[in-house]
Amino acid sequence: MKRSAIKREVDLQILGDWISPGARVLDLGCGRGIFLEYLRQSKQVYGVGVDVQLDKITSCVKRGVTAYQGDIETAMRQFPDGFFDWVVCSRTLQELDRPQAIIRESLRVGKRFAVGFVNHGYWRNRASLLWQGRRVVNEVFPESWGERRAMNPVSVGEFEEFCAKEGLTIAHRAYLRGDWRTPCSAFPQLFAGYVLYEITR
Amino acid sequence: MNDAETASPTLGGEVGLVEYHDFVSSEPFTFEDGRVLPGFTLRYETYGKLNAAGDNAVLITHALSGDHHCAGVYSLNDKKAGWWNNIIGPGKPIDTSRYFVICSNCLGGCQGSTGPASINPETGKAYGLDFPVVSIRDMVRAQARLLDHLGVTTLHSAVGGSMGGMQVLQWALEYPDRVRSILPMATTARQSAQAIAFNEVGRSAIVQDPGWNGGDYSPGNGPNVGLAVARMMAHITYLSDEGLERKFGRVRKSARTGNHLDVEFEVESYLRYQGRSFVNRFDANTYLYFTKALDRFDLYGRVASAGNEGVEHPAETSSATDACTHLASAFERLKARCLVVGFTSDWLFPPEQNRAIVHAMLRAGKDASYAEVNMDFGHDSFLVEAPELYALVEGFLNS
Repeated sequence: MKRSAIKREVDLQILGDWISPGARVLDLGCGRGIFLEYLRQSKQVYGVGVDVQLDKITSCVKRGVTAYQGDIETAMRQFPDGFFDWVVCSRTLQELDRPQAIIRESLRVGKRFAVGFVNHGYWRNRASLLWQGRRVVNEVFPESWGERRAMNPVSVGEFEEFCAKEGLTIAHRAYLRGDWRTPCSAFPQLFAGYVLYEITR
Repeated sequence: MNDAETASPTLGGEVGLVEYHDFVSSEPFTFEDGRVLPGFTLRYETYGKLNAAGDNAVLITHALSGDHHCAGVYSLNDKKAGWWNNIIGPGKPIDTSRYFVICSNCLGGCQGSTGPASINPETGKAYGLDFPVVSIRDMVRAQARLLDHLGVTTLHSAVGGSMGGMQVLQWALEYPDRVRSILPMATTARQSAQAIAFNEVGRSAIVQDPGWNGGDYSPGNGPNVGLAVARMMAHITYLSDEGLERKFGRVRKSARTGNHLDVEFEVESYLRYQGRSFVNRFDANTYLYFTKALDRFDLYGRVASAGNEGVEHPAETSSATDACTHLASAFERLKARCLVVGFTSDWLFPPEQNRAIVHAMLRAGKDASYAEVNMDFGHDSFLVEAPELYALVEGFLNS
């Protein structure tokens, strides 16, 4: 199974479990609307997706998923405080232009913020840098330096430190091992490959 | 709309030969301005079959210069098919093998529906300026009578661009229980000062033509020069700088007479053709009435547009969020699913104004999507064949 498919599956399972039925959900970087379609069918949520790409929006429309084409910060600015029960960032956190501003804005328009990302502190990523002096190139990060778009890698430690500094509460967390499926019970900073958080003010 | 485009190749089948019909309503009709007509006629066309439940109908609403003939041809010799033939037909995005497609000439129009050029039964002469002021809402309320007549209980969808987009928005607000989805495109919840300004230039050209004569002229002898100039000017606002550049650039006409004020560039010749052909098919008074209907359309409502009523500053000086709140409260009553489509190169009703509609609907907790198609045909992009637009329309109607 491809990594993107595993990510989608664990996001569906874990985030889908956290989100309560009938909630109002804003999905930042909603892609083709698969997550929102699932939430709508299984939890009867009111979901709104945001994505910059027209073909993604077209897929959402086809699925009957409500979607807004545009920049996620502009989209969020339209909503009053606490409008959504959940703001979900299903794009990888490392690709956001201004993560701090986006997380703050998410917690203005939403009561809860959910995010899943690849832990750059995972031991294989560290080992690559330590032994080979270069960032890892593998299935998760297939492109070599020249092809890769700008990215702002984040680790478990950095993210949790950020939350503490911002005075945010980590209401739920899920650490998964390198296979992105098995729960990781010890030293997540080192052994978690993929992590999910529910953040509140 | 572009008079020079010819029928273009398409993906699906063709609607083929069509004919128009006249629906005559003999019930009195009260316009928003309070005046009453004893009845009215709407000229319309339909394609496809209405199902037994009467709920597979798709209403197409036309733009300022459009009409009821949106698909098919009247005869096999017709050079041009209906104005939205590229998107309507069996197997096309608006699929006439699934949907019963209806399009009528708006009330106040000049293509067969009752309008300023129609004969006033009381005087035996054309109404001219005695015709009641027509609003977008009046157009929609007249269309509702046509749907009653056709046995349409619920609209599967209402689809339209520009002034047609305003009508479908109005449809969802006026008859929330009668329309399941709306697809407005290249439109606005209220025109900007720039759009009003352009309309005013067009109206000035018409009313300053001596042929206009206070709106009292005989067919064919109206303010032809003024109307043609209005059309030439308006036509520029339907296109874009890039679009014109690509189509014409600085290409010159081949034959030149030597008179230095003669048509020299291709673009001049094109605009003159647009002006001439418009005069042959459009009534100047309808042009005045419809542009006024466009200018006055304002879903933001009285509170947000109070700037014009005693307060010095226009509504825009109050915060954008306030305006959005007003528009959102207007959309409270909305029940239809909505997809708004904006076009990147549309500077008449720019993407921002299309987005604003969706922002307000989402704030009101409605099911509203926004998509933006990157095309360089300006405001008229919605009329042009584009796979991206087709996928959106088809996906939305069938979801």
